[in-house]
Amino acid sequence: MLYFRYGRLWNSFLNALGAEVVESGETTRSILTSGVSKAENESCLPVKVFYGHVLALQDKVDALFVPRLVSVKKNTHTCPKMLGLPDMAKSAVGNKVGIIAPTIDFHFGLWTNYRAVYSTGRRFTHNPMKIISAGIEAWKEHKSYLEKLTMGMDRKRALEGESDQRLCEGRELRVGVIGHHYNVYDTFTTMSLLERLGSMGVDVMTADMVPETLRELELAKLPQEIYWSYEQEIAGAILACARYKLVDGIIFMISFPCGPDSIIRVLCEQEIRFMDTVPMMTLVMDEHTGEGGFLTRIEAFIDMLRRKKDRAEEARRAVMAI
Amino acid sequence: MKISWPHMGSLEVILSGVFEELGVDYILAPPNTERTLELGARFGPEFACFPLKTTLGNFIEAIEAGADTLIMVAGRGPCRFGYYAETQRRILADAGYEFEMIPLTFHLGKLPLLIKQLQRLKQGASWTSLARAVKFALAKAYLIDRLEQEALHQRYLDRDKGATTAAMKGCYKKVLEAGGYDRLRLVEQEGFELLRSVPKTERQPIKIGVIGEFYLVLEPFFNLQVEEQLGYLGAYVERNIYLTDWIRPSGNNPVAGHHDSESEEAARPYLTHAVGGEGLHSVGNTVLFHRHGFDGVVHLMPFTCMPETIAKSILPLVSQDLGIPVLSLVIDEMTGKAGVATRLEAFADLAHFRRRARGEDIPLSLQPAF
Repeated sequence: MLYFRYGRLWNSFLNALGAEVVESGETTRSILTSGVSKAENESCLPVKVFYGHVLALQDKVDALFVPRLVSVKKNTHTCPKMLGLPDMAKSAVGNKVGIIAPTIDFHFGLWTNYRAVYSTGRRFTHNPMKIISAGIEAWKEHKSYLEKLTMGMDRKRALEGESDQRLCEGRELRVGVIGHHYNVYDTFTTMSLLERLGSMGVDVMTADMVPETLRELELAKLPQEIYWSYEQEIAGAILACARYKLVDGIIFMISFPCGPDSIIRVLCEQEIRFMDTVPMMTLVMDEHTGEGGFLTRIEAFIDMLRRKKDRAEEARRAVMAI
Repeated sequence: MKISWPHMGSLEVILSGVFEELGVDYILAPPNTERTLELGARFGPEFACFPLKTTLGNFIEAIEAGADTLIMVAGRGPCRFGYYAETQRRILADAGYEFEMIPLTFHLGKLPLLIKQLQRLKQGASWTSLARAVKFALAKAYLIDRLEQEALHQRYLDRDKGATTAAMKGCYKKVLEAGGYDRLRLVEQEGFELLRSVPKTERQPIKIGVIGEFYLVLEPFFNLQVEEQLGYLGAYVERNIYLTDWIRPSGNNPVAGHHDSESEEAARPYLTHAVGGEGLHSVGNTVLFHRHGFDGVVHLMPFTCMPETIAKSILPLVSQDLGIPVLSLVIDEMTGKAGVATRLEAFADLAHFRRRARGEDIPLSLQPAF
């Protein structure tokens, strides 16, 4: 579920400790199907996908690495599903496979997690220096990965290394695709939305690419602060995009039935209505979402944005002619 | 200023008591009906959790009845409950209602805000009188909780169906009207006397625990009277949560008879970290119920509730490990009463069979659950 954000960090850390890392790879139809059959009906789509990945991995590995993220920023929480992730993994695989579940809590700063990191490292090596250096190295890698995402590099390319290609290349239309990382970067569940938009000649702006200062500025204006770490990012990005017209339109990606997003959606839709600057479309995905319907809506949205922009252009030209 | 608040079990006893004592104008939201649910579902976000919709319905009906100040609790935590007030304020404002929402923020860092909000609510009454009123109202609610527990324990012995419920209604009214601690003590005696005097029959009980999300467990209209139905099916029922236990900040649950840390400890092999709401305690209490020889557990959860979804995905493992049957009921605005009744019947039958197969008899004397 959080691989799209922290995959680089975990990989680098575990590799440096001499562990052999097996990844479940991209989501596929069979992973999704097995996850759906195993997971609770009421869980959200990413949790079902997570179950699928766990089941795909269970025969290949000795232990699963499923960290428990309690908080990634001061005064915030993650969603309850992330808090219970290791325990859900355990209930899925039983006692066959061990589960490494360090509890990460940034509530009191970066260094309080030293213990969690160290105890994880201790499983692989007895050399404390090695653990520390692996941790620091992994953190650096993670930072550079996030930076690449901020620069607008596609996730896959950012994982591989340097590349000149950007999601945002200064084409005529720019659309904000905003949502949780697993709702935006997972090529299977989003039906490769980012690539499709790219091939339609549309620039994509993800939540990572919205400057953090703008996001914070928007969040500070809300009457009650949002206390979910990732929702802060999403709501901040959407509001900043709308307020400063960073994009021509926003696509808000939600997976059914995401709890925090359902609340944030009300907030964002209302704020955007008040601002009346850019249109927003909310796309709710689940395992039954058909590709046809999904594409039609996106194409219609893009067409609408194009027409809107053309009309605005014409109006401006008319004004200039006068 | 007319204050109103959403229903939640016997919450009205506390709040109406407090406001009456302070002489503040208040209005009770109309009782929960199908319409409440319909209104909530119409205005509420599509997959927001069930309590958000029902309380939204309460608010709308209260505003229609003339309320202009709404109280809601706000806070911070992984669960969505802390953000209800803000969301509902936005939805209601969008729908064109005029009101003021006061989100009572119970959070240590926000103490000044809470003081300011209370200052607005108490309208000139002194802080000591507020404290006194709250204390008395909590005493009332505590009594109601204990009476309710007694009713849950003895309902299966009813000779005439519904007698305990009727007696409980009488007790409820008496407590609501009681003024002063002396009167309350008297009512306490009378209430327990009244419940004891309900005509009883001899019957072999099964012991069923009810766990789940607190709003759903506490609000009988929306959980489709699961507890009452179980009582009629011959079950000695115990709940994991009572209103005053829930309000108590210390984590001590005198009505249910155990401390939060106990259930956290019990849940450790299955769930090691709090997941917000009642998720952890749902798992822990299942283990505790098993330890106390219960025949089954009914798990209530509102649709899309995040903590309970986690509990639900872990409960099958607990059930398998300990051999205690768990029935998870997911409730939302579409849930039909007959469907729930059928499932409960089947569940109670199974529990009866299991108990008979084990050949154990529980003594008929009432015993505390924990």
